[in-house]
Amino acid sequence: MIRIQNLNYAVGNFALQDVSLHVEPGEYFVLLGATGSGKTLLIESLCGLNRIDSGRISIDGVDVTAVEPRRRGIGYVPQDYALFSHKTVRENVRFGVKLQPSADRERLSIDDDPPEKTVMEMVGVSHLAKRSIRGLSGGERQRVALARALAIRPRVLLLDEPVSALDEQTRDTICRELKRLQRDSHTTTVHVCHNFAEMLTLADRVGIIDSGRILQTGTPQEILQRPVSARVAQFVRAGNLLTANAKSAGRRVELTCDGGLRLTAAVADPPAPDGKVTVMLRPENIQLGAAVPENVAADTTVIEAAVRDVLDFGPTVKVTVAVDATVELHVSLGKKEYNIHPINTGEHVFLTVAPEDVHVMPQ
Amino acid sequence: MSHPLLSETRTASPVIGIRGRLFAASMLGFVALFVVGLVGLFAADISYLDADAFSRVLRSEDFRSAIWLSIWTTVVTTAIGLLFAIPMGYALSRYRFPGHALVDSIIDLPIILPPLVLGLSLLVFFFQTFVGRWIHSNVIEFALQPQGIVLCQFLVSASFGIRAIKLTFDGIDPRFEHVAMTLGCTRGGAFFRVALPMARRGIVVGGILIWTRAVGIYAPLQIFVGDVPGETAVLPTAIFLETSTGDIEVALAAALLMLAMATVALVIVRVVGLAQR
Repeated sequence: MIRIQNLNYAVGNFALQDVSLHVEPGEYFVLLGATGSGKTLLIESLCGLNRIDSGRISIDGVDVTAVEPRRRGIGYVPQDYALFSHKTVRENVRFGVKLQPSADRERLSIDDDPPEKTVMEMVGVSHLAKRSIRGLSGGERQRVALARALAIRPRVLLLDEPVSALDEQTRDTICRELKRLQRDSHTTTVHVCHNFAEMLTLADRVGIIDSGRILQTGTPQEILQRPVSARVAQFVRAGNLLTANAKSAGRRVELTCDGGLRLTAAVADPPAPDGKVTVMLRPENIQLGAAVPENVAADTTVIEAAVRDVLDFGPTVKVTVAVDATVELHVSLGKKEYNIHPINTGEHVFLTVAPEDVHVMPQ
Repeated sequence: MSHPLLSETRTASPVIGIRGRLFAASMLGFVALFVVGLVGLFAADISYLDADAFSRVLRSEDFRSAIWLSIWTTVVTTAIGLLFAIPMGYALSRYRFPGHALVDSIIDLPIILPPLVLGLSLLVFFFQTFVGRWIHSNVIEFALQPQGIVLCQFLVSASFGIRAIKLTFDGIDPRFEHVAMTLGCTRGGAFFRVALPMARRGIVVGGILIWTRAVGIYAPLQIFVGDVPGETAVLPTAIFLETSTGDIEVALAAALLMLAMATVALVIVRVVGLAQR
């Protein structure tokens, strides 16, 4: 388990500020943030490559804040892989194994096979063993870097944007393999990325980092459906963010959005304060139809709108509708649903939104 | 495997029009002008000389001793030069400390100074200062000794090696060493196992620069160690002495022999040391 408590680290005019988070044993934790948000700085601090200004880092209950990188039990794959170009693939993978204390080297061996052989087979690079690093493709390099990190059987695997340099197809393949490897080896993994889809594929839990601060941690669904702020909502592609005035009424919150649109939301936990708030409507949570659906619950919001745009993305169709002159909403439809009831630009439609799907955040 | 002399790698060559061809021709024109000029210069020397001049050089005891003195002193100088240039280049590349820019500039001074001035400075230091006189009397004698040749060559040439090796380490991302440290290396281990082997080509270039600079100097040597044939006269000094006595043919023949030896040595070092692995 990794526990970071109140970590502060300043470099130039950027700082990691009061970062606290924990990663459960065997968990695949994704740290999601934009470029320059401090992801790499945080992962390097975990590795012991940055001497932090204050705070505490512990791994498996042991305080490693003042421990050298080589004694932290960490397998690190940096963004550009940093493979040693003067060594072959096998020598790269074996590099860390040779440096482990002899007692540990026995622990690393499985069925008398040298650990690098087992790991290279597991990661699928055995056939490249004698190759030089120079001739490898991006995907092969990524696998070799992963094998090198795994060969020392680390307690924690830290991956810094491991697939961002790869093409989409290779990225998908490697993401699936990463997840499989992590599940099989039960290695606690922290994976840093800026790609939303990558996070959804891999994460057991996710942390959103921005300007050196952790904004929210939770399961992907928690972050997706219940972001704590508009900033987090933007990260997880909220789709529709509106500014509104909130007024509590029992178990419901009545919202008057800028532009006049009125919505009813369920009271959140913790409840958002009355007054100015940000409202999130996820495109996939809005139902769209040519007529008002029958048996609509009393507190469900029904909105009349005109279709502005229809974009076919293959498995999903994104529809943009204009509620009035100032408010536009995005709706996401499944391809099957769209094929049954096709929508055309200019058509009048009705949107229905259940109170539970209206998420209210303080501004 | 490919190396600079027998390059098998193919560089990207975009489709270019007439202007692109003219541009390439003008760039290559400068290469041709320089190389043809230089080769022409030496060809003129060869045509001016006869076999007798070369044979007189090779038969001369003084020249043979000067050649041997030049070889061993420059090899020792290069070794000592690299011994300093590698840690210095690494330290200047990786660590920042107060006065870093000043130290960096001081290291460049021997590149700017006329070598003659270094010879004079050494004389002043060893004969006019307390520390210099103490070293001269109690530790090691440099003036008028072969070890003085090494000292002169080292001071004149080391800066070139330090500069080249620092640039090489600048070009190696510290992340390689960081990864090595997470894999079990100490700070020093990461240097020896990763940074140093990766800097191999830069170190070879640094060594070549130190050696080529060291092998050609004679002005500070004449001042600090003298020019006694058979004792402290290196090949450039011997060539200078022959020129001053008017025996131009022998001086030129010796110079061409030195050039031939240097070319062979440089080609070997380049092929072996700069080969891509």
